[in-house]
Amino acid sequence: MAGAAKAESAPMASPAAPPAPPSDVAGAPGGPTSPALLAANDVAANKSVPDSPHSAAMLIYTANITMAVYQVETALEGVEQVARDAGGYLSVRLDASITIRVPRDRFDIAIERIEKLGDVTHRDIKAQDVTDEYVDLQARLKNAYAMRDRLTELLARAAVKEAIDIEKELGRVTEEIERMEGRMKLLRDQIAFSTITVSFNPLAPDRVRESSMLNAFPWLSNLGLGALLDVH
Amino acid sequence: MNLRTSLLVPFALLLASAAGCSRPFDIKTAPGLVELQDQEPSYAYRAISPEGVAVAVKVVDLEENQGDLAFWERATSLRMNQLNGYAMLGESDLKSRNGVPGHEMRFGHDESGKPYVYTLRVFLTHKGWPSKGSRLFLVESGGPRDEVARYQRALDWMETTLEVD
Repeated sequence: MAGAAKAESAPMASPAAPPAPPSDVAGAPGGPTSPALLAANDVAANKSVPDSPHSAAMLIYTANITMAVYQVETALEGVEQVARDAGGYLSVRLDASITIRVPRDRFDIAIERIEKLGDVTHRDIKAQDVTDEYVDLQARLKNAYAMRDRLTELLARAAVKEAIDIEKELGRVTEEIERMEGRMKLLRDQIAFSTITVSFNPLAPDRVRESSMLNAFPWLSNLGLGALLDVH
Repeated sequence: MNLRTSLLVPFALLLASAAGCSRPFDIKTAPGLVELQDQEPSYAYRAISPEGVAVAVKVVDLEENQGDLAFWERATSLRMNQLNGYAMLGESDLKSRNGVPGHEMRFGHDESGKPYVYTLRVFLTHKGWPSKGSRLFLVESGGPRDEVARYQRALDWMETTLEVD
């Protein structure tokens, strides 16, 4: 049984090691205690996360911008270029909208550059504070690691009948640990890389009604390609 | 040609000439485009190519002191650029074939992700005694960008034939 327990614990964090403290998460010397916590491509993301959730608020920045532009395709390329220049990456690209992720410390300058690509008709910037959730997850993860360690020890000494129940509980705790680790990884990623979504729309018809001077000459509204190419 | 035909031909020419004179402008339709008949009242002239490149002329009668050419340049530019969301690509002064000064504005516009171009030329003439009013001529051309590029020579030629009265 002892051999089985050892084999099970191998891919997880070492039972002797404590759960990852915030400083580990931030990439402090020593690195993460669990290999599952940090994949290689997360390293860059973790560098931008505060060293401790207690020392600074953990904020997820998102921006939704709507713009009117002449050539949508050119504007989409422009936004993608902003992401590349900022050390970020393309997340989603559709016909008339694009979502990019940029390092948090380049968020403001990326927004500034994007807004030069056309006329901004709507801007929505949010900062979501996830400090409480992150701290809560850390505490629960610490307890779950401790529980797993105890169950592993019990399993090593248990009789066959008890071992079945312990293994079932161990499976549940392991699943919970993985879920919490996954959530924390997601939060770290969202904190380290801000999300910017830009949509390109034609100017709203309502704005036409804003101008009283031009409405004094109704024939002006018939200018343009819409009427010109509308042949009956 | 018999006597009856020889009498009818000048009469028909006279009628055609009179019909032409009913427009206060003249423009020739380039090969590759056809003039459309029975246009909406807002269009005094409209011609179109099979690919959807169109040229049209509108004439607006203005009362006395209803704006000079600079006013209508600005008004149409604002309308297209700021309200209709067309991007101003360029503008320049020009003259009609008979020497009337005008102004040309070139715009770009996307429709369903496809680029279109649109050119608007504005001319203003005074009707002359006894009227104190004036006439505003709006000459529009446009269509899908690639098609307009293919028809550019025809469109340029049509521009050189325009006379406004």
